[in-house]
Amino acid sequence: MPLIYLFVGLGFLCISIYVVWESKNLEYYTKLGPGGGFFPFWLGIIMGGLSLGWLLQEIRVKDKREFHFFPEGADIIRIILTVLALVGTACFMNFLGFKLTMFFFLMFLIKILGKQSLISTFLVAFLGSFGVYYLFANYLDVMLPKATIKFLSNLGL
Amino acid sequence: MEAIHNLLLGFSIALTPQNILFAFIGSVLGTLIGVLPGIGPVAGVAMLIPLTFQMTPTGAIIMLTALFYGTQYGGTITSVLLNVPGEAASAITCIEGYQMAKKGRGGVALSIAAIGSFFGGTFATIALVLAAGPLTRFALEFGPVEFFALITLGISLLMGLAGKSMIKALMMGIFGLLLAMIGMDPVSGIPRFTFGRMELMDGIGFVPVIMGLFGLAEILMNAEKQFSQVFIEKMSSLIPTCKDFRDSFGPILRGSLIGTLLGLVPGMTGSASSFLSYIAERKVSKHPERFGSGVIEGVAGPETANNAHANGALIPLFTLGIPASPTVAVIMGAFMMHGLIPGPFLFKEHPEVAWGVIASFYIGNVILLILNLPLVGIWIKILKIPYGLLFGIILTFMVVGAYSISNSAFDVLIMTIFGVIGYILRKLDFPLAPVVLTLILGPLMERSLRQSLEMSQGDFRIFLESPIALVLLILASVFMIAPTFKFIKKKKSVISGE
Repeated sequence: MPLIYLFVGLGFLCISIYVVWESKNLEYYTKLGPGGGFFPFWLGIIMGGLSLGWLLQEIRVKDKREFHFFPEGADIIRIILTVLALVGTACFMNFLGFKLTMFFFLMFLIKILGKQSLISTFLVAFLGSFGVYYLFANYLDVMLPKATIKFLSNLGL
Repeated sequence: MEAIHNLLLGFSIALTPQNILFAFIGSVLGTLIGVLPGIGPVAGVAMLIPLTFQMTPTGAIIMLTALFYGTQYGGTITSVLLNVPGEAASAITCIEGYQMAKKGRGGVALSIAAIGSFFGGTFATIALVLAAGPLTRFALEFGPVEFFALITLGISLLMGLAGKSMIKALMMGIFGLLLAMIGMDPVSGIPRFTFGRMELMDGIGFVPVIMGLFGLAEILMNAEKQFSQVFIEKMSSLIPTCKDFRDSFGPILRGSLIGTLLGLVPGMTGSASSFLSYIAERKVSKHPERFGSGVIEGVAGPETANNAHANGALIPLFTLGIPASPTVAVIMGAFMMHGLIPGPFLFKEHPEVAWGVIASFYIGNVILLILNLPLVGIWIKILKIPYGLLFGIILTFMVVGAYSISNSAFDVLIMTIFGVIGYILRKLDFPLAPVVLTLILGPLMERSLRQSLEMSQGDFRIFLESPIALVLLILASVFMIAPTFKFIKKKKSVISGE
């Protein structure tokens, strides 16, 4: 069985154990009927059973073909960098503000990963950050975050 | 008579300039989402929910539903001209549509698809108008007991039909229910599974989760390949001949019926409708051997069926409050975010919303028919934008969509986490549709179960005392157990060497 199946199966099993454990701290039954822990407790039990069942099913499969779950080389790097860029955006958005964070995010994605020309990268990054901010703030009443660093907020970012 | 009166009320609301504009925006955005690779209707609708917060509930739902059936139109364009389905329901159109495009008849294929889609969508909407009265009257008899049984049936149908493995579908259904447990207990108000984080007190946002599972996961799948430029077949005239119309008439009628009926069944996807319609056309054809070489019947039937399906899938949502597909479940979530509960009470308490939205389906379908053909050139130009640029633009809207749900960067993080989870689960062939359905229906299911048991003071026999609930639960059990028997039978036949 490929290792990824084991990790995913055990991952679901861990979730179910956690849910059952946590639901024991909640009321299982009250005078009026089921409490907050009733539904999660049984869901956790069922999830645990299903995870084990699935793992056993996969162990019994005798497929000897070579299995590559993740792509290799530049392809996996592209995926990792996209995810990291999104995590970075979520982390920095409240400090640097939406405009600056999205500008860097898009410059990175489009230039480094998308391999586009500098002009089109800059144009899309500018419109996707400053343009989107203007559109959402002025026409859709959606407030996107401003920079909390004083120097940047003084610059209107 | 009552239906006509209600529909006229609906048109008086849907035909206001503001609501026509919302239907127009929804239709155009839907087509765009259908055209673009890497973003399907589920993520597309979820992504645009934040944009509707400042709108009236009627306007918001008109825009989101128009977007939903607009995606069905959009998916056709790439199927015909690129041999790449913009979304799953149009995949079967590739077979005949692309062959037609190679012969220079791509324009005709798109025209017939647009006409068929219009006809199918309108047919299903008429069915909705006719079904609304009787079904809602029936559903008004429902209490928590029957409602719990109905949700269970809806979920079991979806799981029974989703994917190749029942165990995986069940795991995904339970996973969605567990996600729905996060946040404050709806009865006692005690926090559950919040890890002490304030952001999770109100529960995990379904918009970031769905955008991650469906939108970001798709982008990550696409990132596995080197971003490439598309090659589009040349297109000549858009106008079908009289023979094309004659050949398409039957398939359009059959497609409308197939799509509307299958749309009613929770768990049936639009792709099942279009596939069944294609098979039906091949069966009734006098020249089945011509299929595969670019016959118009193979475009007209499936394209009609998938649009009829999209509109037909809204019937259980509007009348019973049960979403029949993941995208409809997201629309249900949008209803709830605007303080409305779809189902029989919507017709009773907010008839202007219910009938206004239903009437807007006709308007949306007309808009799509009028707009689609002249705009084909623009959609093709959009397809020529390099994917390396396009994926940056899509991700921007995803980040904004996730953030603006509760003005929190935490939701962007949630979207990213679920994007990675979705990527792994998709690669392992786990069906994701049950997660959406149970994530949205989970709180309603738990509430109705607990209310039922409170009524009976903890006695589970209450579910056997209501004949409606009993029938629904028996059906749910049959749908859950049937695939297991099929699996055992298959195993036995493999063992006995059949």
